[in-house]
Amino acid sequence: MSTPVLEISDLHMRIEEKQILKGLTLTIKGGEIHAVMGPNGTGKTSLAQCLMGHPRYQITGGSVRLDGEDMLTMKPDERARHGLFLAMQYPSEISGVTTANFLRAAINARREDGTSISLKAFRDQLDEVMGFLDMDPKFANRYLNEGFSGGEKKRNEILQMLMLKPRIAILDEIDSGLDIDAIKVVSKGVNSLKGPDFGSLIITHYQRILDYVHPDFVHIMVDGTIVKSGGPELALELDKKGYEWVRTELAQSTHQA
Amino acid sequence: MSEMILDQASEADLKSLVEERFGHEPQWSLARRQSAAEAVLNLDWPRLERTPLKKRKLDQLHLFKAPPTPSRTAAAAPEGWAEIWLDNNQVVAVSMPEALSLQGVRLESLTAALDDPDVEKHLGRLLGQDADKIAALSGALWQGGVFLRVPARIREVVRVSIRSHATAEAGALFAKNLIICGAESHVTVTQRLATDEGVSKTLLSENTEIIVEDGGRVDFGAIQQCAPTVEGFIHRAGALGHDAVLNWSIGEFGAGLVVSDHVSHLDQPGAQTSSTTVFFGAGTQHQDYSAKSYHHAPHTTSNMVARGVMKNKARSVFTGLTQIEAGAKGSDGRQKEQTLMLSDDARADAIPSLIIDERDVYAAHAASAGPVDRAAVFYLTSRGLSEPEAERIIVHGFLAPVIDAIALPELRDEVWDAVERKIRA
Ligand SMILES: Nc1ncnc2c1ncn2[C@@H]1O[C@H](COP(=O)(O)OP(=O)(O)OP(=O)(O)O)[C@@H](O)[C@H]1O
Ligand SMILES: [Mg+2]
Repeated sequence: MSTPVLEISDLHMRIEEKQILKGLTLTIKGGEIHAVMGPNGTGKTSLAQCLMGHPRYQITGGSVRLDGEDMLTMKPDERARHGLFLAMQYPSEISGVTTANFLRAAINARREDGTSISLKAFRDQLDEVMGFLDMDPKFANRYLNEGFSGGEKKRNEILQMLMLKPRIAILDEIDSGLDIDAIKVVSKGVNSLKGPDFGSLIITHYQRILDYVHPDFVHIMVDGTIVKSGGPELALELDKKGYEWVRTELAQSTHQA
Repeated sequence: MSEMILDQASEADLKSLVEERFGHEPQWSLARRQSAAEAVLNLDWPRLERTPLKKRKLDQLHLFKAPPTPSRTAAAAPEGWAEIWLDNNQVVAVSMPEALSLQGVRLESLTAALDDPDVEKHLGRLLGQDADKIAALSGALWQGGVFLRVPARIREVVRVSIRSHATAEAGALFAKNLIICGAESHVTVTQRLATDEGVSKTLLSENTEIIVEDGGRVDFGAIQQCAPTVEGFIHRAGALGHDAVLNWSIGEFGAGLVVSDHVSHLDQPGAQTSSTTVFFGAGTQHQDYSAKSYHHAPHTTSNMVARGVMKNKARSVFTGLTQIEAGAKGSDGRQKEQTLMLSDDARADAIPSLIIDERDVYAAHAASAGPVDRAAVFYLTSRGLSEPEAERIIVHGFLAPVIDAIALPELRDEVWDAVERKIRA
């Protein structure tokens, strides 16, 4: 499979009357890990959900392309079948379907030739991935996320990512609420997919996860746009100085311009 | 007078029709029919707060057409089951395991059992013929139906299946069923109500009365999958003796209009009832359900659960009533109703109520009606499932706790099949 390219260009988006994204441009290629950091309420989750096709958001300008194909006209399931994945900040609890049955249905839905994965092949793969993520096998037979702790839900998101093997994965605060061991496990999962066929956008508030998943690019998002991009050192600097530093710098540069 | 439209009929027409059709019946039965016939024109159609019947033009129905003769042949009953097949309320076939008939279990057409003193004693006791015009019409014109009597203290569980079917030319059907479970016996009944696919506009009236004697237990399950041209009025009521148990499992899926209720009278101490209703409306279906538990005696318990799904422009009302009378000390009555709406045009009302006239009791109710969780749909579709598939999974999860709790396995599977069909429809 070819190296994926997700191109977000000059994206404007709003919810109801509130403008959330105000001209956001970002390109993520296979082999790259991007981190996006930014203060609360700045539009990170909105960006992630909008990329995945949540119907709530209204696009008012710009484009999103995956391998040159317009994503914005696609429904979430089509985007998923094109290789996009979103680990959600707050995964829903779905009663009545077990994690295993759900994953099998999702794998089958993504197969292009319409065939189904055999139960044996699926089980083997699931066992392997759950083992890799140090997950208790009983989670496979529990209803999807129902009654899972915060950390268990996040781990389940990574399980799904590894099973579905996306080409571009957006991880929205996958590290929030995790203890250090869980962060290591989650990072291990992301790192295992690393390669030219896989690109990732990691939304986080903390430097911590970036010690384990090394980003190639770090972007700072404020008020619906990316205001500053750099390498891993930017995250460290931000960790030390806080967002006030970005805001001040931003004010100065607008002033100068 | 083989055929007539109701609003052109006089009282004399009705009475002579009853005489012509049912003149051969025992005096007590004929007299009841005649008094019902006298009442028909003076009574109103059922008055339901949220289900207006006026524009349905019920009085334009060809009420008196003799039901067409049966055409189906019965398939073999499941092993160990007694089974009765009815076409347009007329019994087509009855099969009864020898072991049961030797112990005195009776399963037959109710009109054929009018000589039985139990029928005279119990028929109409719980569901009278003066409630409204349909009750009176049913009182005057009912025919066929099922009589099931299980003697006291039968050791094994008596399993009975009722398969009721209406064909295209039915017009109006009035059925009565009477089930008597003797002391300390245990009966399971599954009733399947269905019609031909292309049935013409049909008024379907079904009255089922269940008597559970001391220490007896009846598990009554029903699934209704009639065509959209059917307007159903389905009433069920049970009376429970000392320590008797009546469990209702009702699956409602078909009919353009359905007014359906089931009532438990906990007449004696220690009586217990539970009721589970699962309903699913689609298209322009209108469903008006109610369930009632009357605690007339101390230490009686009731537990009522209803879950429904509404899609397209379907509309449902579920009214639950738990009434604990003064003196019914130590009773426990609960109810819980939940509805899930799959579209903006669907509508569901849940109206729970408790009437408690005794202090020393436990009573609780809860009701909710809400749209499907869009975040959950988004979550599932983001993994590659289509939106209909995502909704299917959510509906499954919503209904599973109640459907999987249905004690009758074959009914449970049929309810799931009906749900699947409705989801895909
Ligand atoms: N459904 C909605 N209706 C109105 N406003 C909304 C809605 N959803 C989000 N918003 C607003 O959009 C803005 C961006 O929210 P978003 O969740 O994208 O922020 P975030 O950057 O992910 O924040 P956090 O770091 O706290 O997760 C916020 O001001 C939020 O209140
Ligand atoms: Mg967020």
